[in-house]
Amino acid sequence: MMDELFVGLAGLAVLVLLIALRLPVAYAMILTGGIGAAILSGPAIVLSQLKDLAYAQFSIYDLTVVPMFVLMGNIATRADLSRDLFRAANAWLGWMRGGVAMAAIAACAGFGAVCGSSLATASTMGQVALPELRRYRYSPALATGTVAAGGTLGILIPPSVVLVVYAIIVEANIVTLFMAAFLPGVLAVIFFILAIGVTVLIHPKAGPPGLRVDAAELRSATLAVVPVTAIFGLVIGGIYLGVFNPTPAAAVGVFLVGLFGTLRGKLSWSASIDALRETAKTTGMIYLILLGAELLKIFMSRGGVPMAAADMMVSSGLSPHAILILLLVALIFLGCLMDSLSMILLAIPFFWPVISGLDFGMDEESLKIWFGIIALIVVELGLITPPVGMNVFVISALSKDVPMRQTFLGVVPFFCAELVRVALIVAFPAIVLILPRLLSG
Amino acid sequence: MTASPSFLGRRRPPGLIGLACAAIELWALLGGGLLIAIVLLTAYSAAANLLLGSPVPGDFEIAEVGVALAAFAFLPYCQLTRANVTADVFTLWAGARTQAALAFVASLVALAFSLVLLWRMSEGLADYREYVEVTPIIGFPIWIAFLPILVSLALLLLASVLTALQDLRALRSVIPTDIN
Repeated sequence: MMDELFVGLAGLAVLVLLIALRLPVAYAMILTGGIGAAILSGPAIVLSQLKDLAYAQFSIYDLTVVPMFVLMGNIATRADLSRDLFRAANAWLGWMRGGVAMAAIAACAGFGAVCGSSLATASTMGQVALPELRRYRYSPALATGTVAAGGTLGILIPPSVVLVVYAIIVEANIVTLFMAAFLPGVLAVIFFILAIGVTVLIHPKAGPPGLRVDAAELRSATLAVVPVTAIFGLVIGGIYLGVFNPTPAAAVGVFLVGLFGTLRGKLSWSASIDALRETAKTTGMIYLILLGAELLKIFMSRGGVPMAAADMMVSSGLSPHAILILLLVALIFLGCLMDSLSMILLAIPFFWPVISGLDFGMDEESLKIWFGIIALIVVELGLITPPVGMNVFVISALSKDVPMRQTFLGVVPFFCAELVRVALIVAFPAIVLILPRLLSG
Repeated sequence: MTASPSFLGRRRPPGLIGLACAAIELWALLGGGLLIAIVLLTAYSAAANLLLGSPVPGDFEIAEVGVALAAFAFLPYCQLTRANVTADVFTLWAGARTQAALAFVASLVALAFSLVLLWRMSEGLADYREYVEVTPIIGFPIWIAFLPILVSLALLLLASVLTALQDLRALRSVIPTDIN
């Protein structure tokens, strides 16, 4: 028994080493998981499992929503939705001090509603918003920081691929998770806008007011975002109200976004092929990691590692909230090193047994949802944290004249806003739990 | 971040390698076409269910099998374009030679993986043919799905050979300048 745990822990160390040596995360998981399971259960069993494991894993119904969301994001990126969203948000908010940056945040949230990827949201909105922010003489730090942080909104506002993956790992209800993510997402938008407000209060020169537009422009800019809003309302509203399951909702969303792009003449043949290529890359990457995570799970649960971690934490005498904070700090740290999906797939199988063994005064289903939303926010924080905040890299690539240090500096107000948000959600689980309770009656 | 060179830039390499790249890309695009077909079918079924109360029978089974096939078809392209995520922080310090050597090892792991999976899933195909299992509603025999999957795995094998060769070439080209 002890020996199996030892093999499991050694496997974990090897896994971390392989990832550090730049082996793709998926292959590091597959290699450690496969060989570790072969050591513990004998090669014959693993080889026999491999006959069917990949197919079984790839044909999970709940996963079918993932490539559809990825495709929807890739089409939305090419359909120029981002420009409309920014124009409308800017017409409403741009005249205020710091208003153009606030408009960028609002547009990021809108784009995140049709695209589940932070990196894609940051890079797409960056291309639209950065030139405008420059035109209104926003400080480079605030401008780049805003877009880098705004990108993280993509992950929480449904549809989110990472949320689907989390739901599958802990066997939670995806629809409930989508509902739960809504208020925290809205909260993020409000807090980011407040963060900009505070920043320009301290440094008025960082974000001068933009132009006040006339009523005609306000109307036409608003009308231009009606289709996106309608698509989002149909997809997410349909899921919330139980009209659709997530997969049909996503399919309808892909169809409508595609139709919209085609009608606007933005989806040429080559743009469509390009969208398919990107979808192939992202989907293949996600599915391979999922397969690796499954193999790793087989190995680790055979070695009893998650249970041992849970026992250790529960018997440590720390209070449940102290343990939660410990795990969240670990997630922030790990989230700085890796992309959010790999992180969730690596950490949650170990963290969830720990959390589920603690008493937070709520039932297991609520706990799954509450912890998942917090974990997701925290992992996303890693995207804007030095040394490798990936969103910051993406934005730096778009604005080569702004040193990366400036961007990281510009991210600080948003980082603080995020910490406040996490603290609020930890303190008041109702922020997460109330919407699912209301909607599912 | 150090991105390894990709085969699929604007210009494709000449000869057999170029042909292999084109085949891998085409296979991924076929997978993409299949995904679009599934999207359209699912959307149609959802609309038909909502408006007429009659969804396409077995639509979710078709989605399961179809998406799985598409995902397998994407794997070779993913390998060829090096789209599998890595954690780059720890190796930022490393010289070009170390980087190239690590990339080569990664390609070899992909190669070994595709070989093992190709072997195992061929056996899986044999099993499914012997004891035929069909999906519950439309009665689709699962062994048929394994045929394109094996093609995908064979192409994944090919893709990892190509990336391994590319890494080897990169490794050779950095050795003379990197020795100090």
